[in-house]
Amino acid sequence: MRMTSRGLLFGAVATVGMFLVTPCMAQQPQQPGTFPQTKQVLGLEGVKHNATGTLTVQKGTLEFTSGKKKADVPASSISDVVTDKDSQRAIGGVVGTISMFGPYGSGRFLSLFRTKIDTITINYHDSSGALHGAVFTMPTGNAEEVKQDLLAEGAHTTIPTAPASSAPPAGTR
Amino acid sequence: MTRTHIICALTFTVMASVFTASTGLAQDSSQPKISSSSIQILMVDSKEVTLPAEFQVALYENLVAEVQKTGKFQHVYRDGDRSATDAPDLVVLHSTVHGFKKGSEEKRQVTTVAGATSINIHCQITDKTGKSLLERDVTGKVRFFGGNLRATYDFAKKVAQIVRQSS
Repeated sequence: MRMTSRGLLFGAVATVGMFLVTPCMAQQPQQPGTFPQTKQVLGLEGVKHNATGTLTVQKGTLEFTSGKKKADVPASSISDVVTDKDSQRAIGGVVGTISMFGPYGSGRFLSLFRTKIDTITINYHDSSGALHGAVFTMPTGNAEEVKQDLLAEGAHTTIPTAPASSAPPAGTR
Repeated sequence: MTRTHIICALTFTVMASVFTASTGLAQDSSQPKISSSSIQILMVDSKEVTLPAEFQVALYENLVAEVQKTGKFQHVYRDGDRSATDAPDLVVLHSTVHGFKKGSEEKRQVTTVAGATSINIHCQITDKTGKSLLERDVTGKVRFFGGNLRATYDFAKKVAQIVRQSS
């Protein structure tokens, strides 16, 4: 009986510790143009749906690497880049699905813990002119940076970003 | 008395389901057949309804993937593919969004009954000249498990089923 309560106490401490450590790990410094912990929801050829990896925007190319799989899209072939915001369950994957069946509504309770994410959607054309699309999700605050990097590398967008506040108004010298 | 009520309810349910199934089969048998070796799938048109970009792209990509999986066409061309112009018996799949309700994954997981996402799309298959060969209204939904984008997968599966039955 005493062992069971110790086990429960240890489990509770480990769970709380996990929640405290995870945000610290997410704040690791990253190289410019590199966006780790990006999930490719769908669209890139040769990469599985919902694969997590690193998105890189460099040398005129958007590159997504997940393990040994890699997909490249030339920035100049991207006809539209759109960003959005969403949220996802803090505990996802297989563990998240299993926890949905937890007793006494514990699965539902865990669903209330959510993390905010950014969504980035691109449309691009291949060499034969065929239209493709891809959707990525990434930690919040990164999508706008990806969009700016892509536009700087030659991508296009139908929703232009707001002009920088430091720019002089039109008509002034 | 209670048992009688249960038996009556069960009988009614079985009869209703048999009737629904037979009606569905009758519709399937009356479907026009499309005999073509190639299809071009156009980007989903969402001028009437504001559809988030990720949903539009997910609808299109899932549609291409699911129609390819059916194996009914030798070539599945994407929107804008220049090589599609050389295909002799090309048919074109047009999809127009008529309704969209973005639900909430959180609400679905917490309440089970609320927060469903649904997308109503009018699908039309035409030949090269624009003559309509098949028209259907298809609804993609996600009610319980999965994110909102799963509704796009549900839609694509239903369209693929229609393509299977009509070719």
